[in-house]
Amino acid sequence: MTAELLKLAGSIAAILFIALFARFLRLGGDVRIRSEEQAREIANETCCGFDPVEIAIDKAGIAALLRDADGRHLLVRRHGVQWAGRLLDRHNDSRLDQNFLTVGTGEKTFGSVTLNLGSQASHWAAGLRHLKI
Amino acid sequence: MPELFNPIDYAVPAFIILIVSEMLWVRRRAPEKYDPRDTLTSLALGTGSTVAGALSGALVFSLAMWIYEQRFFDIGWVWWAWPLCFVLDDLAYYWAHRSGHRVRWFWASHVNHHSSQHYNLSTALRQTWTGFIALGFIFRIPVAFLGFHPAMLLFVGAFNLIYQFWIHTEAIYKFPRWVEYIMNTPSHHRVHHATNPRYLDQNYAGTFIIWDRIFGTFTEEVEGEKIRYGIVKQLGTFNLLWSVFHEWIGIAQDVKSAPWRHKFSYIWRAPGWSHDGSRDTSDSIRAQWLQSRQAKAD
Repeated sequence: MTAELLKLAGSIAAILFIALFARFLRLGGDVRIRSEEQAREIANETCCGFDPVEIAIDKAGIAALLRDADGRHLLVRRHGVQWAGRLLDRHNDSRLDQNFLTVGTGEKTFGSVTLNLGSQASHWAAGLRHLKI
Repeated sequence: MPELFNPIDYAVPAFIILIVSEMLWVRRRAPEKYDPRDTLTSLALGTGSTVAGALSGALVFSLAMWIYEQRFFDIGWVWWAWPLCFVLDDLAYYWAHRSGHRVRWFWASHVNHHSSQHYNLSTALRQTWTGFIALGFIFRIPVAFLGFHPAMLLFVGAFNLIYQFWIHTEAIYKFPRWVEYIMNTPSHHRVHHATNPRYLDQNYAGTFIIWDRIFGTFTEEVEGEKIRYGIVKQLGTFNLLWSVFHEWIGIAQDVKSAPWRHKFSYIWRAPGWSHDGSRDTSDSIRAQWLQSRQAKAD
């Protein structure tokens, strides 16, 4: 039993060392969406076959909202150095505050995302309010 | 019965050295291949899995011993039993793994291993905490029924696990053709972890890729196609407990809300299945992808 506990303590020490070492090496990075083309690619990776006809990228490039020809809205946001997204439906709440649009996903762990969309914010807020699905 | 050591105890220091080496390797080439938070989640999942395994191991071993008592053949500890046991256990692993992707109950446990969007050596240690609940071991203990001692099964199973560690890397592209033909390699396993429609639910092998070739689930890695790792609906969080239990919670919610005649289907059908067709399975995603590819070609 003592040996097992020592092994467990050793494992925990090792994982902490590795995680700290990864931080020390500055692994990871700072990813941003820099173009519509990139947003389109991320959308397709997030939701296979999603072909956006309208794209709004957050000013800081950490998230984007995309709409396809069927009126589906897709929210993508940064997750570490990767991207994750959710298709939005009429149950998702959104709040508009001047240039900032906060989009909820209904998932506690995914959370809500606040996008600085500039003058486009109200247009996208209206689009989200009129979702039919 | 010979006294057997636990091979994993001896492999752990090598795991750590190799992870650190890979980190140093990616530092110059592509630092985004590792994310410290993702690595921490993977390793915490690995440690938790060891604890869960220790807690349930005795029960599984007792069950395997009971099956062994009813064995068909008296194989004993002859030398040829070891490699044969390894091969048969690897075949059993293939079916356990395939079921782990095709049946939501088993997937709820195995999804932990796939939920990282990274593919590096730390991903290999991202293991389930709920394997005992999922009952995935039922695929592997029947080998004991043939007459292989459960201790031998445990021993060769540990070597299988160790083999699978090093293939979780992007540092190696491909091996000579004969190796790629027989063995599971980093290239084949990258395909397995990919969410690209062409790669979904392919290459279930543990050590020998020949099982996929035999049972029609083999797909070659296509040069130049960027691989996206993880799961179809990425978690978007590093929350450890959510990573462990999210699919179990999903099953519970679906079973609760589904009409009576569909409740059980949310447990045994493929991940992503829904009674109203509102969600996608790997099969439907691949079908849509093939359709759109065909449309573009036309």
